[in-house]
Amino acid sequence: MNALRKGVQLLGLPVLLIALWWVATVNSDNFFWPPLSEIAGTFRETWFTGRFTADVLPSVGRLLAGYGLALVLGVGLGVAIGSLPVLRAVLEPVLEFFRAIPPPVLVPVLMLFAGIGTTMKILVIVSGCVWPILLNTVEGVRAVDEVLRDTARCYRLGRRARLLRLVLPGASPQICAGARQGLSVGIILMVISEMFAAGNGLGFTVVQFQRTFAVPQMWTGIILLGLIGVLLSLIFRVAEARLLSWRNE
Amino acid sequence: MRRTPPPWALGGLGLAGLVLVLEATPRVGLVDRRYLPPFSAMVEALAGQAGTAEFWRSLLETLRGWALGLGIAMVAGVVLGLVIGGVPVARTATTSTIEFLRPIPSVALIPLAVLLFGTDLRSTLLIVVYATFWQVLVQVLYGVRDVDPVARETARSYRFRPLTQVRTVLWPTALPYVLTGFRLGAAVALILEITGELVIGSPGLGRQIAEAQNSGAVPAMYALVIVVGLIGVAVNAAARATERRALRWHPSIRREIPA
Amino acid sequence: MIKFRAAVAAASALCLAALTACGGGEADPDASGPTPVKVGVIAIVDVAPIYLGVQQGFFTEQGLKVELVPAQGGAAIIPAVASDQNDFGFSNFTSLMVASSKGLGLKVVAAGAASTGVQGMDFGGVVVKADSPLKTARDLSGKNVAVNTLNNINDTTVRASVRTAGGDPKAVKFTELAFPNMLAALDQGSVDAVQIVEPFLSASLKAGDRIIASNYVDAAPDLSVAGYFTSAKTAAAKPDLVKRFTAAMRKSQEYSNAHPDAVRKVLLTYTKIDASAAGSLTLPAFPAEINRASLDTLAKLVQDDGLITKAPDLAGLLP
Repeated sequence: MNALRKGVQLLGLPVLLIALWWVATVNSDNFFWPPLSEIAGTFRETWFTGRFTADVLPSVGRLLAGYGLALVLGVGLGVAIGSLPVLRAVLEPVLEFFRAIPPPVLVPVLMLFAGIGTTMKILVIVSGCVWPILLNTVEGVRAVDEVLRDTARCYRLGRRARLLRLVLPGASPQICAGARQGLSVGIILMVISEMFAAGNGLGFTVVQFQRTFAVPQMWTGIILLGLIGVLLSLIFRVAEARLLSWRNE
Repeated sequence: MRRTPPPWALGGLGLAGLVLVLEATPRVGLVDRRYLPPFSAMVEALAGQAGTAEFWRSLLETLRGWALGLGIAMVAGVVLGLVIGGVPVARTATTSTIEFLRPIPSVALIPLAVLLFGTDLRSTLLIVVYATFWQVLVQVLYGVRDVDPVARETARSYRFRPLTQVRTVLWPTALPYVLTGFRLGAAVALILEITGELVIGSPGLGRQIAEAQNSGAVPAMYALVIVVGLIGVAVNAAARATERRALRWHPSIRREIPA
Repeated sequence: MIKFRAAVAAASALCLAALTACGGGEADPDASGPTPVKVGVIAIVDVAPIYLGVQQGFFTEQGLKVELVPAQGGAAIIPAVASDQNDFGFSNFTSLMVASSKGLGLKVVAAGAASTGVQGMDFGGVVVKADSPLKTARDLSGKNVAVNTLNNINDTTVRASVRTAGGDPKAVKFTELAFPNMLAALDQGSVDAVQIVEPFLSASLKAGDRIIASNYVDAAPDLSVAGYFTSAKTAAAKPDLVKRFTAAMRKSQEYSNAHPDAVRKVLLTYTKIDASAAGSLTLPAFPAEINRASLDTLAKLVQDDGLITKAPDLAGLLP
């Protein structure tokens, strides 16, 4: 009974929305809003006849590589910047400056240094999703209670212990919030990076469908991007729950 | 406490370092100056741009689109965030939908936006609102989740009315998150505003950048990129100032008052 | 819970309102004044005649008040025209053929840019570094060539060049790269050759690069590259408006062909091309008529490349 209720809660709204979409477009002759039945019908043939390994997997691989790098960089730099006010003051305007530059205009510059291959695309992903992680880490580290910090100092906890036992756990909810945003920004950038110099990938394929007016196929691409997002977010949630389990104890 | 130079001076130092790198990299031949001109050439092009009415009009158009998009996203994000986060049933019922809609890249919505609104500012607005809304919403949801369960139960047992609960329990805890959401949202909105202008061609600095690219006017292109970056710095400074005013009582701000 | 339901209802109502608000048609133009028309264009050399025509008053003569709406490429302009956001638009013919073969009702109403038809002196071409071992289009087999959009007019015509030169068009590898980024990629050796158009072509030649093929010339004699179009709906509902636009556009094209200096000057008003580059670049031809034979050839090439599966209905698409 409980599981049933949970299932209804989890799937109720999506099912309702899909039903609405289905009904609203069932007799649609609008070129850009094809009936949902038509979109569903083209899904399998569009993605599961070779494109999955040729386009989807390379994209996801680049996304994970870029995101992983951004996590390491973001948390590492974030802890450093968050704990050293002077460093933060020096770097903040520069970081803000780069963060405000939209990735599509940064791509040509990255190309000058990284060519047009996989490295460039991973760098584009890093260049976008590092910011929410970095910023939230800085915020989280700053917000660790001063009293706690002083206490730790009084007990003469070493730098390493302070970092591992106090700063990182204290900042972890904020870091997780940043990492979660970074993930969704990363998916956006996966698409953007494939708008430049790509020959394969999910984003590339969606843009191709868009340009060749293969509208039902384009919709399947948008839906697939959403599904991948859900999947990654589920994985993220599991990881987050494990990381933050101590808070609810 | 040791006296340190004021933050603005340190920040200036950082920016000066960046300028130095930008000037030196093409000059020492690390990159071809045809593709990445030295900083001085960018400044020269910027001076040329600043003399045109088109530049100022585009700047205003960008700022207007940004403010409008951010405003809509903030209101929607905070209201829905408090409602969804505050009502457990709503939270469980919407989680899967939010998780599905949020990762859909706003750039994938560009053809839809163009279809609905053509190439004027509303297409870009749609993309800006879509992307910014989730940033704000997620922060608000995190903030609401951070509310002390004891405080919430107390408020409930004292039978505070829902709005009073929001005002006295939810809002103070969520406020730092809301402000982080505002700051992140402000930056994301600016990026999407420029990207939309760049990709769709709606009016603003992004379109100017695209035109400069298409005309092979490399220094002018970088000049405009610098302007966009500076707007970002200004936006962040303003958001931080807001945060500081609103959060004077919070540990992360309290500590920074100079001793 | 009730509150939540109300919020959901409000949100869905908002969404619906947003979706339907744009469905309404444009208000009827004031019968007395000139008719306002929105034309979607890309701010590149190819559309100079319409800017010049507006400047010269050719559209006012026809009772049209033209608003030029710059957009980034046909992928944005075609949907805007198909959904009547714009009255007319500018696009290359391959995109138009692909779009109409997918079922979008479009009607070409006026000629736009065309190849000059002169080998080595066209507004676009395939360029390699000065010291490249590649000498002709034939050598492109097995090489990596950058084009601005895959599966469009540029890779199709480059394949035609390779075929004409006796190479294997299927062996050419294409990489998608925006025109502004091509020369840097060529310098770095990320690609072996680039298919590039003005103003980048003359900048590239000035830097010492070598042109090995004029792909538009090789594809068909005097190839019509792009044109102005409207939706089939507008074409059927407002034949008079279309006639006036076509007449004004034809006059603009003729004027532009006769006054290249005026074209170079108008470039400075809507692009950021610098004055010396604008003075020396190769302009496309601006014919008054669409070269139907060249489009028959292009349609065949597009079909050979598999961009569309059945022969496009050129009679329906073209005027």
